Amino acid sequence: MSELNRNPLIDWLLRLYVLASFAFIFAPIAASFVFSLNEDRFPSLPLGGFSTQWYEAVATDPLVWEGLSNTLTIGVIVSLVATALGFGAAYTDYRYRFFGKTVYLALALLPPTIPVIILGLAMLAFLSRVGLSGQSLSVIVAHVVMTAPFAMAIIRLRLSQMDPDLEAAAWNLGASEWAAMRHVILPFARPAILAALFITMAVSFDEFAVAWFVSGLNETLPVRVLGFLQGQVSPRINAIGTFVFLTSMTLVILAQLVLMRRPKEGNPDG
Amino acid sequence: MGDRPLVEFDHVTKRFGDMAAVEDLNLTIAKGEFLAIMGSSGCGKTTTLRMLAGLEAPSEGEIRLQGARINDLPSWRRDTPMVWQSLALFPFLNVRENVEFSLRMRGIGGAERRRRAADWLDRLQIGELAERNIAHLSGGQRQRVALARSLVTEPEILLLDEPLSALDAHLKVRMQSVLADLQRQLGITFVYVTHSQSEAFSMADRVVIMSRGRIEQIGAPREIYRTPRTRFVAEFLGSSNIFAGTLVDAIGDGAQVDTPSGRLRLATSPEGFATGDAVVIAVPGDRIELTATLPDAGDNAIEATVMGEEFVGATATVYLEAADGTEMRAQKSHADLEKIDIRTGQKLFVGWRPEHAHVLPPA
Amino acid sequence: MSDQANTVPGPSNMPVAVWGRTRRPAKGFSLYGATFSLPLLVWQLLFFVAPLLFLIALSFWSVRNFRLQPDLDVASWLYVYRSGLFWETYLRTLAMAGFAAMLASALAFPCAYAIAFKLAEASRRWAIFLMVIPFFTSYLVRVYSWQVFLSDHGIINAALGSIGLGPYTMLNTLFGTMIGYLTLTFPLVVLLQLFSLMFVDRTLIEAAHNMGAGRLRAVFAVVIPSARVGLVIAALFCFILTFGDFVSPLYLGGGNPPTLSIMITDTTKSGQQWPRAAVIALTMIATLLATAFAAVGYAYRGRGR
Repeated sequence: MSELNRNPLIDWLLRLYVLASFAFIFAPIAASFVFSLNEDRFPSLPLGGFSTQWYEAVATDPLVWEGLSNTLTIGVIVSLVATALGFGAAYTDYRYRFFGKTVYLALALLPPTIPVIILGLAMLAFLSRVGLSGQSLSVIVAHVVMTAPFAMAIIRLRLSQMDPDLEAAAWNLGASEWAAMRHVILPFARPAILAALFITMAVSFDEFAVAWFVSGLNETLPVRVLGFLQGQVSPRINAIGTFVFLTSMTLVILAQLVLMRRPKEGNPDG
Repeated sequence: MGDRPLVEFDHVTKRFGDMAAVEDLNLTIAKGEFLAIMGSSGCGKTTTLRMLAGLEAPSEGEIRLQGARINDLPSWRRDTPMVWQSLALFPFLNVRENVEFSLRMRGIGGAERRRRAADWLDRLQIGELAERNIAHLSGGQRQRVALARSLVTEPEILLLDEPLSALDAHLKVRMQSVLADLQRQLGITFVYVTHSQSEAFSMADRVVIMSRGRIEQIGAPREIYRTPRTRFVAEFLGSSNIFAGTLVDAIGDGAQVDTPSGRLRLATSPEGFATGDAVVIAVPGDRIELTATLPDAGDNAIEATVMGEEFVGATATVYLEAADGTEMRAQKSHADLEKIDIRTGQKLFVGWRPEHAHVLPPA
Repeated sequence: MSDQANTVPGPSNMPVAVWGRTRRPAKGFSLYGATFSLPLLVWQLLFFVAPLLFLIALSFWSVRNFRLQPDLDVASWLYVYRSGLFWETYLRTLAMAGFAAMLASALAFPCAYAIAFKLAEASRRWAIFLMVIPFFTSYLVRVYSWQVFLSDHGIINAALGSIGLGPYTMLNTLFGTMIGYLTLTFPLVVLLQLFSLMFVDRTLIEAAHNMGAGRLRAVFAVVIPSARVGLVIAALFCFILTFGDFVSPLYLGGGNPPTLSIMITDTTKSGQQWPRAAVIALTMIATLLATAFAAVGYAYRGRGR
């Protein structure tokens, strides 16, 4: 906008408002970090002394470790399956046009708009009916439903940046459809595929409602948090939360780095 | 093989839904010829090329390559490489890997691949760019990479889909001579799709002009330019003046045509037309004489008003309009124009010798 | 330049048969195409559509002696729809989600507006990055953290007490629930609004100023109408998320009186009344779909002018 129309006071108020918004967003995250290192059992001001006791408590809790290993295993499998399915759907949308495509895309993209509590309820009812409930497998199945749309969106975006002649050019140069997939589509989509792997893993890592509903005994880490939350106030949540936050952020930043990396020079065979 | 044509389109039709992009196409392409297919957007030229490349399947008819039907042969089993308008270079591969691509797809070993790719990069004078990333090349360099990538398998035929359209005028002319030389040296067939008259006419042995999915005319550039066979071609090339009228009685050897601009004379009676037929007369713009006074008795002449001039390089086009509204144009050299002082709004006589006009069917 | 069907080079422009390729080779079903398209389709049909359909069937089942039995019984529908508590809860949840959508939209707009129009390119990118971070922190942990802020002896009351105010009850109130809802939706609403504001043609705003529109009038007359689709979609997402959320109303709102989500968990965790939970869930889905259609219809209304 032109300088003429700038009102410095209003501009500063607006900037202040943005800062206040970030304060609101980051207050709980920061507080969780601070109190995870605070020795008081009931977190309040003024702060007590510095302590890593909650991390120790968490680290020595076998249930937490079990939850962590469940979460990680599930996260890795979910990210692999969801990214594979999401890639297939993104490629289908990119390349084909067919009767019922709208329905296909709706199926591919709708799950995140259904409240997780309802999805969890439906999943548990259905999976127990087909004998899949109470197992890590059921959490994986549910998480893939929820995260595949994210993978698809990320990869579809990348494919839309591709020169539409590129695949046909590969065929024209003697590559069969499968060879063109391996030598052209996959290399081109690789950054988005890696990003999708990390992001679906991060989403799965953090999801609790469906896991809580569906998993039964095999609790994931967020489900443990939910358990703590239902029991009583415990600063251990802060310790776990900080850990989960750092892990998720690592995944997201990795994804970001992969997406922003410049195209490599050269690409040796295979 | 003998003198069998390299490519034959035999009554080929291609439909997309209800719309026919190419209709009943019959075309043979000889070994070693440089064929340009020309027309405006949507005329079917690119569809024709894509059918030959195996990227579209004909709806009807047959396409033969070296005598064998290839309708259902997938693109990767034909050796009909194409240079794309977008070039479609693989951005994640470097120059050498791009050129090696088709050899790799054919299972040729690493050392052999490298040797052949290097050979072609040298031939196109981009040998020093071999390990360069595609993103770091100039437009002309990319063009050469695309050519090397398509030619590395030493195909019998190369398809080019408006390959020069993204280049600036200067580079375009340079690449035209590169392409023409290359085609002559290799002796292979080039099928070149373009909407640019200058590209088609400066490089091709034969030009195919298409309109609405059909071939309007096939012939050598000069022949098409001088004697457009249909009104569409004459108008599309923009080189001729068009007069619509009715054929009237022959006088001696010649004939006359009644047009709204007046009665025009022809040097000979046109074949295949009878008195009373509706006809169109085409007169090449560079055959037009502009004079301030009525020209010789034997010539045709129409009085017209100068509407404006346009200068392109060494020639100028003068736009004129007859009293009845018929638009005309004359291509003249600057030297010619200096002889008569031309001002917009001035009245002149547009004249030509009867033998320079030829007769076309009306539609 | 190229021919009609190929003019726009996007493959989506190519005409094809069912499951056929857009380009060569052969039409019709292909192993190659199916390899990529079918897995997700099958997965979502099996594990997304089937469970939701099963939910419909489940709503007609009966519960005898705490055991579920397949049935064609409308008892659960009648029970839920005749329950005053259900309708009370339904309207409350609807009102709370609607209020949250308006609140979040109103609070987010100045923030999105400032980021879109008042920040330099570099700071804007940072702001967007910071807005994305919360999506990858545990919502549960953030809600727990708010408990620490909002409780009677929490951080806020401690701070207020030091200047002689309070204590105020904030936990287990509607205020607490709204704080939780905002925690869940505020960053998303800001981002969605921001993306639509960034596409508003700035010359339009300048034109409005030139024609004498004041600052606030320019915002209401030009910016908001131009960004309407994005603003409505942002509010819709806020509604969808808060309508189905059970964490904030439970842990910050105290869970009493309940929302529909809390009602669902209560109904399933006590008494095995799964069919009734299914009825509530289906009613929620129907409400969400109706809201979504209405909102999208409103967002695009009159855009063809």
